[in-house]
Amino acid sequence: MAIFDEELGALKERVLRLGSMVETAIRDSVRSLVERNSDLARKVIERDHQINALDVEIDEECIRLIALRQPKASDLRFITTAMRITTDLERMGDLAENIAERAIELNEEPQLKPYIDIPRMADITQEMVRDSLEALVAGCSKLPYKVIKRDDEVDNLNAQVFNELLFYMIQDPNTVPRALRINYVSKYLESIADHATNIAEMVIYMCQGKIVRHMKISEE
Amino acid sequence: MAIFDEELKTLRERVLRLGYMVESAVRDSVKAVVEGNDDLAREVIERDNQINTLEVKIDEECIRLIALRQPMARDLRFITTAMKITVDLERMGDLAVNIAERAIELSKEPLLKPYVNIPKMAEITQKMVRDTIEAFLKGCTKLPYEVINRDDEVDELTVKNFNELLAIMIQNPKIVPLAVKRTYVAKYLERIADHATNIAEMVIYMCKGKIIRHMTIKDEV
Repeated sequence: MAIFDEELGALKERVLRLGSMVETAIRDSVRSLVERNSDLARKVIERDHQINALDVEIDEECIRLIALRQPKASDLRFITTAMRITTDLERMGDLAENIAERAIELNEEPQLKPYIDIPRMADITQEMVRDSLEALVAGCSKLPYKVIKRDDEVDNLNAQVFNELLFYMIQDPNTVPRALRINYVSKYLESIADHATNIAEMVIYMCQGKIVRHMKISEE
Repeated sequence: MAIFDEELKTLRERVLRLGYMVESAVRDSVKAVVEGNDDLAREVIERDNQINTLEVKIDEECIRLIALRQPMARDLRFITTAMKITVDLERMGDLAVNIAERAIELSKEPLLKPYVNIPKMAEITQKMVRDTIEAFLKGCTKLPYEVINRDDEVDELTVKNFNELLAIMIQNPKIVPLAVKRTYVAKYLERIADHATNIAEMVIYMCKGKIIRHMTIKDEV
């Protein structure tokens, strides 16, 4: 079915586009913090509705494809997975927005310390987002397992950020409000990585379930 | 189609049960924090796999129904919404586990100050979870709008909780690790409320989209 193949291709492209929008949001939100650029932070906040709109669009398209094309087995499972992972992507967009909000607050005060671990966390989480979606559209590979493994790196960096900030706070209580905001940014990035891990898990499940589902359907 | 009706009914019951399990997880995890009860916290953590299992089961059942019964319009939208809602419910379960983890850590430390905001937040979020599931199952009412409105209350309590703890932390930075854990508990609850809000939005969207979808399908068929 040539039209359906094209439609599936378009759906994949949209999911990738949503992913790259989320990646950009993460990158820019952290950049707005590191470069103390509140205009950029405001841009991230403004752009979030585009992510929400595309999320709804993908949803609609998935339902349309299910209703009109009545896809079987592996295609159906791909479409329903696409529908489900947009929830995680949309949440990641919200978290990038939260980072941008904290950046605006932090940019109004003198910088507490140079940001080293946070940009690193942002790099890893962006890669996790990219890889988890690549895993979804490229079919079943080892990639989702790699994403899940990287989550530990982010968790470790998050713990490291907190310990370092704790040192500042104990030395000088005046730094507490700023330090806690920075800690929240780190926490948001950790949550984003968790969502990427969720996507990777769903992709693994899609790949395994495909076989199971296929059997059940052909049985019936 | 009588069998399909029966299957839909089972699906509804399962979603309701999942919602109930999540609600219990939220309630017990916060109870574990407030009472310093780490046994209860461990119970919440252990029970999470039941939530995950039921989520997978619902997902499987939805795919089976779509593939075999080829439901149209309203039923299809109900089933796809169920599939999306369970993602949020499962994430709420994970957040309850996070609360329980913090409960275990906090139970080993002296009580910083009595818990006032957090139980209040937990009560509101539990009600939000219950109401969103009810809104989903009962179809299109005002209930999802109420849920969305209540999200602001939770957000306000999160800020209030943070500010109170911040004041204590500035006075005595040594208690920061302890106080931060309490702000995390509030933050997790805030996110649970956000997920409930997501579900409420999806229910509204299901109700509105139902009409749009119906038209599109008719147009195209």
